[in-house]
Amino acid sequence: MILIPCPHCGPRNASEFAWKGEHRPRPDPARASPAEWRSYLYHRANPCGWTTEVWFHRAGCRRYVTVERHTLTNEVRRAVPAGGER
Amino acid sequence: MPEALSPLARSAVRPPGPTQVMGGWEVSTRVSTSSLWLADVSPLAKVLVRAEPGAGVAARLGVGHGRARRRADGVLVVGSGPGEWLLVGPPGSASLLAGEVEVERGEGFASVVDLTHGRALLRLTGPTAPMVLAKLCPVDLSDRVSPNLVAFRSFLANLATDVVRDDLDGSRSYLLHCERPSGQYLYDVLIDAGAEWGIEPTGVFAPPAKET
Repeated sequence: MILIPCPHCGPRNASEFAWKGEHRPRPDPARASPAEWRSYLYHRANPCGWTTEVWFHRAGCRRYVTVERHTLTNEVRRAVPAGGER
Repeated sequence: MPEALSPLARSAVRPPGPTQVMGGWEVSTRVSTSSLWLADVSPLAKVLVRAEPGAGVAARLGVGHGRARRRADGVLVVGSGPGEWLLVGPPGSASLLAGEVEVERGEGFASVVDLTHGRALLRLTGPTAPMVLAKLCPVDLSDRVSPNLVAFRSFLANLATDVVRDDLDGSRSYLLHCERPSGQYLYDVLIDAGAEWGIEPTGVFAPPAKET
């Protein structure tokens, strides 16, 4: 079981969340080359180890949460509101 | 030929007989004798308020996310989410409740919506109510983690539901709030889960009879 410490609701089962993918900084659309933009849209690092992801707490506070998770052990070491929201 | 509109409001949950019309709602007048009972309290006024968590609206409502408080006039104010509150009042008071929410200039966006007819609201009461919910809900319902007037949203039988612990006369009681189309499902699943503790349905305005 993956337990995600939601910054709003406290520790909750991952079944309450929707996984939205790896957290990646969005390039500036006006300056990014087609290759950079394609990489942002389609390429994923998919590491075996620590990764930063975005999860949506669909059955709780209905907020996005940025989570640091180990993909091998499913250990979660950090969860903060996504996008710097309060 | 268009069907004539009825002024009668019906809950999402089929009322167990006998029924009668009270305050424009068709409600059950059944009286339970069990210590564990489930009531459809959907006719209670339900008003959703959304505003900036740190704004004056939040301070005036006086309760944060995850908690609820009972006002002196009996209205229950529930902090149902970050920047989100639910006001639960007597039947027919939704307009009054919505009008009471003051938003002052410079406090950002706020919305006040009457959800009375768009949501289902159930009340599960009895000493074994936590055991019924524990069969359906992943959240710890012990007194230490979920004391009286705690509020949270989680899955209940795989349905996103707002749960508010609102004890009645010292007896464990939970208000369960979900989308209207899911009301009958939630009602049925609670009746099924509570069967081993002798759960009985009771009417919305009918207090359960005391066993002698």
